[in-house]
Amino acid sequence: MTVADLPGVRRQAASMRLLADHPLWVLGGVLVVLIAITGAIRPSYLSFSGLRNTVLLAAPLGIMAAAQTLLMLTGGIDLSVAMVATGAAYVAGNRSPSGALIAIASGLLVGLIAGATNGIGVGIFQVNPLIMTLAMAAILLGLFTSWAQTIFTGSTTVAPLIKTLGGGSFFGNRVPYNALIWVGVALVVMWLLKRTGLGRITYAIGDNPIAARLSGVRVWQVHLVLYTLAGLLAALAGILIAGRTGAVDLQLASTFLLPSVAAAVIGGTSIFGGVGSYSGTILGALILSVLNSMLTFLNVGQAIQQVVYGLIVLLLAWLYAKVTTER
Amino acid sequence: MTAVVRRRALNLRRHGWSIGVWLLLAILIGWYVLLIPRFGSFQIASIIKNSLPLVYLAIGQAVIVITGGIDLGAGAMLVLTNSTSATLMQDQPFLVTILIGFGIILGAAALNGFVGWIINVSRVPDIVVTLATSFIYSGLALMILPGPGGGTSAGFRILFTGSDDGTGTSFGFSLGMLLVPVVIAAFFMRRSRTGLSLYATGSDLNAAYLSGVDIRRAKVIGYAFGGAMAGLAGLATVAITGSGDPRFSIGANATLNSVAAIVLGGVALTGGIGSVVGAVAAAIIVFFLSPILSAMGIDPNTAQVVQGSLIVVVMMIAGLLALRRRRAK
Repeated sequence: MTVADLPGVRRQAASMRLLADHPLWVLGGVLVVLIAITGAIRPSYLSFSGLRNTVLLAAPLGIMAAAQTLLMLTGGIDLSVAMVATGAAYVAGNRSPSGALIAIASGLLVGLIAGATNGIGVGIFQVNPLIMTLAMAAILLGLFTSWAQTIFTGSTTVAPLIKTLGGGSFFGNRVPYNALIWVGVALVVMWLLKRTGLGRITYAIGDNPIAARLSGVRVWQVHLVLYTLAGLLAALAGILIAGRTGAVDLQLASTFLLPSVAAAVIGGTSIFGGVGSYSGTILGALILSVLNSMLTFLNVGQAIQQVVYGLIVLLLAWLYAKVTTER
Repeated sequence: MTAVVRRRALNLRRHGWSIGVWLLLAILIGWYVLLIPRFGSFQIASIIKNSLPLVYLAIGQAVIVITGGIDLGAGAMLVLTNSTSATLMQDQPFLVTILIGFGIILGAAALNGFVGWIINVSRVPDIVVTLATSFIYSGLALMILPGPGGGTSAGFRILFTGSDDGTGTSFGFSLGMLLVPVVIAAFFMRRSRTGLSLYATGSDLNAAYLSGVDIRRAKVIGYAFGGAMAGLAGLATVAITGSGDPRFSIGANATLNSVAAIVLGGVALTGGIGSVVGAVAAAIIVFFLSPILSAMGIDPNTAQVVQGSLIVVVMMIAGLLALRRRRAK
């Protein structure tokens, strides 16, 4: 190697280091590139109504991924979010004739009960989160399949207010209402993680649960609170999804499970806990939603869509792992 | 004298969970015999053959988890191999279906071994990679077989079920197909150098690496073995049902049951702890709950709720016991 090569080498290393220090820039870049590609496939996408549709999809995903992020930071995971969302939406649909507010409240109640049960299992009884939440998903699916024929035989369409919140927009039909709710959730979650004691303890438990316990943290209480919160967020996301589609069924949110985990992982939250942020998850949710629009425009059919979706999630996670281990 | 007593106590503690699982299985079988009006060879045949897919899947999952990974794509692999084999085997003679079967097992092993290699190279956590492959596999299954259909040869069905239409009373073949893979897997994990290297890798990655174990090879082998077992589960499914079904929910449910079975069977999700044999007993228990619940006259949806709740309750009791043991120390 000659001396003249060295500065160039060093400059390249410096730019890699810059990216490693600011992984969110990489994600932002990926997002812009994806939007550009989608625009090239379908030029009408690069307009307010095109991007509005992506945000409409991203908002419930982002809220569900917030639940996932909170739990992954503690080293846990919630594989019941999709079923909790579906159950909440189903109950909200059934209670819609008695008014939108009652419908939303009963939907959130589903999330509260399911989330708290997960929290009791994981926090107090030390059940592995994977088992606890997978079993919760199976239990909820069984319950709602049999309840759909017995006690919840009523309405399967949701109240107008829920439709507006989940699918409507304001400001000349440009900004969806659900984006507004997402911004609210995002602010609360980021405040919780960055500015409160609970947030610091969340990171501490994920980083080293034994150290956290030995320094006097009541780990089970934190688990209980976070799993309950995750259940509530999943329920909220489910109600918004129902508002977008206008009707509820038992498959409503099932396609959201992988994306909710993937959004957090792509956004740099470690599945082993202790590392990550909600701002990364937001970018992850946006990337996945743009990807979804792109695959829809390509009109390739569900089978190929699933394969491509899985491949891209894998590649993005790989890219992120590569960039962040470069330092 | 005291050494013997102490060793016995140690053995009991080490194998206590396994013994408990086998005891639970015996109790369930006894209960089932009392529950139904007539218990004969038809019931035995039906239980053994229908438990095959979950048993295979649990063996594969146990090997992968013992190596320190987890395969959330195992159920999707079952669906993929089920759909592929049903498509390829339709209207083929027995010998051809056997060759296709071997080909599919090898293909599944290669594909899942490749997944293990990706986990090594990318350093993306197992759970994320296999969650992504679960989507890729079920997408591929839908491409190969868009809706339920396909078929296989009569001989191939006899091989797994003992009869050409899947409803016989002879259970020799099923029992053989149950025992042979279990024995091979148990022997491989406990007695071979490679099997021990899988335990070492799952137990402590750094210690294994420093003692000269090729941890990357261990991961690829673990995943390949798991893939082969999931492939075998797909073949058993085509033999039992006589067709292929590419639905996503089948795979998701099978994955849940396989993870539940191995944890119930004493395999720790942290890796390095547990045995294939324990996982097999637990897999039969998890499968066995549905015939018991249906014999009690409970509808399938409620049965699913009861099954999920039972898994949670058992894990809660295990958690409490572990907590008490830690406090006692």
